[in-house]
Amino acid sequence: MADVEMRPAVTEPKDEERKEDKEDKKEEKKDEPKKEPESPVTEIKSNAALIEKAVATLEPRFTHRVLRTLAALRKRLDDSVLRKAIEEVYPKDSSVKTTLLSWLPAAPTSDQEMEIDSTTTTAPAKPLPEPVSEVEIYLRLLIIHHLLKSPDHYTKAIELARQSVEKMQALNRRSMDPVAAKIWFAVERAYEFGGEIADARPMFLAAQRTASLRHDDEAQASLINRLLRSYVHYSLYDQADKLVSKTTFPESAGNPQYARYHYFIGRIKAVQLNYSAAHTNLQQAIRRAPPAKVAPGFYQAVHKLSVVVELLMGDIPDRSLFRHPVLEKALSGYFEIVKAVRTGSLSQFQTTLAKHAARFEADKTYTLIVRLRQNVIKTGIRRLSLSYSRISLRDICVKLHLDSEEDAEYIVGKAIRDGVIEGRIVHEKGWMECGSQRNVYGPEVSEMFQRRIGYCLELHNQSVKAMRYPLNAHRKELAAAEGARERQKELAKEIQEGDLDDEDMGEDF
Amino acid sequence: MSSSLVSLYEDLQRSFNSIPSDLKRCGTLLSQLKIGLIEAGLLIPQGDLVLEDLVIARDILEIGAIWSIRSRDESSFDRYFSQLQTFYNDYSSYLPPSKREFPIRGLNLIRLLTQNRIADFHTTLESLPLPADAIGDNPYISHPVNLERWLMEGSYSKVWNARAEAPAEEYKYFVDSLIGTIRNEIASCEESAYNSLPLKDAALLLFFSSQSELLAFAQQRGWEIDLTGATITFVRNGEEQLEIPRQKLIAASLAYARELEQIV
Repeated sequence: MADVEMRPAVTEPKDEERKEDKEDKKEEKKDEPKKEPESPVTEIKSNAALIEKAVATLEPRFTHRVLRTLAALRKRLDDSVLRKAIEEVYPKDSSVKTTLLSWLPAAPTSDQEMEIDSTTTTAPAKPLPEPVSEVEIYLRLLIIHHLLKSPDHYTKAIELARQSVEKMQALNRRSMDPVAAKIWFAVERAYEFGGEIADARPMFLAAQRTASLRHDDEAQASLINRLLRSYVHYSLYDQADKLVSKTTFPESAGNPQYARYHYFIGRIKAVQLNYSAAHTNLQQAIRRAPPAKVAPGFYQAVHKLSVVVELLMGDIPDRSLFRHPVLEKALSGYFEIVKAVRTGSLSQFQTTLAKHAARFEADKTYTLIVRLRQNVIKTGIRRLSLSYSRISLRDICVKLHLDSEEDAEYIVGKAIRDGVIEGRIVHEKGWMECGSQRNVYGPEVSEMFQRRIGYCLELHNQSVKAMRYPLNAHRKELAAAEGARERQKELAKEIQEGDLDDEDMGEDF
Repeated sequence: MSSSLVSLYEDLQRSFNSIPSDLKRCGTLLSQLKIGLIEAGLLIPQGDLVLEDLVIARDILEIGAIWSIRSRDESSFDRYFSQLQTFYNDYSSYLPPSKREFPIRGLNLIRLLTQNRIADFHTTLESLPLPADAIGDNPYISHPVNLERWLMEGSYSKVWNARAEAPAEEYKYFVDSLIGTIRNEIASCEESAYNSLPLKDAALLLFFSSQSELLAFAQQRGWEIDLTGATITFVRNGEEQLEIPRQKLIAASLAYARELEQIV
C-alpha cells in the first residue's frame, strides 16, 4: 500500500500546476522563456517577491502561482541553493535567517566566501527590508521537502514540520492559508517517512477543527484528506466513515484534493458493500485526477480499486482499460481475475487468487476480491441456464466445481430467488428447468433508462463544473461581437444610403 | 491499583474459572469492578498508567464480554467490546497480546453476522490486525469468515455442518439465531424456486428432524400443505398486472426536457 499510495501524494503539486495553469496560460507563457534559464536561487527570490506582493495586495492568486512551481522547484533544491536563497532574501542580521539556516548543514568554506562577496556588493546599495512571515513559512516548506530527500534527515524534518505548524498557528494570518495547506501535506510526508502517521493524527484533528472554524477551505480540504489517509492506512474504516459523515468537504477545494477525497470515499464505501456508491466516487476520482502520465501512481491505484468494484457490481470492465500503457502492467493480475469471473470458472478464480495474493494484499484489495467468489458462481449458473433448458443438479455441481449436489440445490435456489436466473427446481427428478426469458418490457425498463439518463446528465454537469476557462477570454469574444455589430450597423447604413442613392438616381433619371 | 480492586478481581477470576462458572456472582462482581476501574481511570485508560494495571483492566473487560455471551446479553457484550477496542487497538504495542483477544473478536464478528449487519461485519474484518491471507489460519476468525461466505453464496448445508465445529464454547450461543436466519433464507428461496416439494424433502432441506416442527414452520410462512399427498405447494404470487407509472414517467420526461434546455 505504502508504495502505491504515496505516489499520488508526491505528484500532488504537479497536478495542481497542470490543472490550474490553464487559468492564466498567457502569463505563464510569457514567463516560460524567462524561467528556463533561471537558477533555483533566483526563482526562490522571485517567488518570495511574489508572495510579498500577494500579501500586500491581498491577492492569493500570486501565492498560488508560487506554489504551482513547487514540484519542479523541489527537484532542483540542494543545501547551497537554499542557503544562498535565504541569505539573499533576508537582511543581514535577521534572527529568522539564523534560525532558518540552522536547519541546513554548515556551509563549506568556498560557498561562504562567495556569499560574503555577493552580500558585500549588494548590501550597501540597498538595505533589505524584513520579508513577511509568509515568506518564512514558504522557505520552511522548501527546507522540509529538501530534508525529506534523504533518510538521514527524517527526524529533523519532523522536528521542523512541528515547529513550522506551531509558528503558523501562532501567527494566524489568513494570507498564509495557501502556504499552510501545503505545509500540512509536508507534515504528513515527514511523519510517513520518519515514523508513524498515527502520531500526527491528534495534531491533524485539532488543526482540522480550527480550520473549519476559520473557514480556511484549503487547509480543511488538505487536512480531511490527511486524516482519511491516515485512517485508511491503518484500515480504520469505521473512524474514516464517521469522519466523512461529520465533516463537509469544502466545495472550493482544488481538483487534486477532490480526486483524493473521492478515492478514499470510494474505498470506504466498497468495504461497506455499497458498491454503486463506491463506483460513482471512483469514477469521480478518475475524472478529477491529473492525466495518467503525470500521476501514474494515483491513476493505477484508483483503477485497481475501480476494476474490483465494477466486478462486484456484476459488470465486466472494458477490455481497452487493460491495454492502457500506464495501466497494462499494473493491472495484469486484475485482468486475470476479470477473465475468471467472466467465464464463471471457480477453479480458475481460485488459482488466480492464490497466484496474485501477495500483490492484492499489497494493494489492499485482497478482501474485496475474495468477495467475488459468489459473483463467479452466479455467472457460472447464469451461463448454464442460458445454454441448457434442463440440467441435472449433479451436472451443475461438476461444471461449477461445487462440493456437493446438496450445495448446488441451495445455490441454484438462491440464484432463482435473487433473480439471477429464471427457472424452477424439480426436486423429485433432481434437475433444474430453465424458464423462458422474462418479458423484458416492463416498468423496470423505464427505470433503467432513467438511471442511465440520470448518470449521463450527472456526468455532463460534473464535467461542466470541472471545466476551467482562461480569465477574461470572453472579453475578446465580446469585442468581436461588438465589431460585428458595428459592421452590421454600417452595412445597414450603407444599404439605406444606397437605397437613397438609387432613389436619388431614379429621381435624377 | 487499590487492594480492594485487586481482591475483587481475584474473586471474579475464581468465580469465573470455577466449573460451571457462577454467572450471577460474576455479574455483581463485574459491576463493582467497573466502578472501581472508573475511579482508577482505567476503564478508558488515560495518562501514564502502570502496565500491570492495564493488563488487569483488560482481563476484567474480557471476562465481562465472555460473561455477557454466557448470560445471553448481546447489548452488554457490545458495550464490553467497545471498551476493549481501546486496549486492542491503541495499546496493542505496549501490552502483551491476550489469548482471549481473537476469540472475542471472532464472537463480535458472529454477532454482527447473526444480526445481519453485513456492512459492519466487513468493516470490522478489514480493521483486524491480521494480514488478509493469515485469516484462514486463525480458527477464531476463519469460522465467522467462512460462515459469511457460505451464507452469501448459498451453501447453507455447509453452514449447518459447521455449527458443530465452533472453535470455542461461546460460539455455540449464536448457533440458534444463525439457524433461524438460514432457515428463513432457505424458505424464501424455496418459495420462488419450487412449485411443490414433498414433505420429507422439505424437512431435510430445512434441517428439521421432525415433521411437527416443519408443519409449524410451514404454517408460519403460510404454505399450503397437502397431508394426503405429503407435499407442500408454494403459493405463487401470480404475475399481477403492473400499472404504468404515469406520474413518474411524466416527471422524468419533464426533468429531461429541463436538463436538455440547459445543455443546448
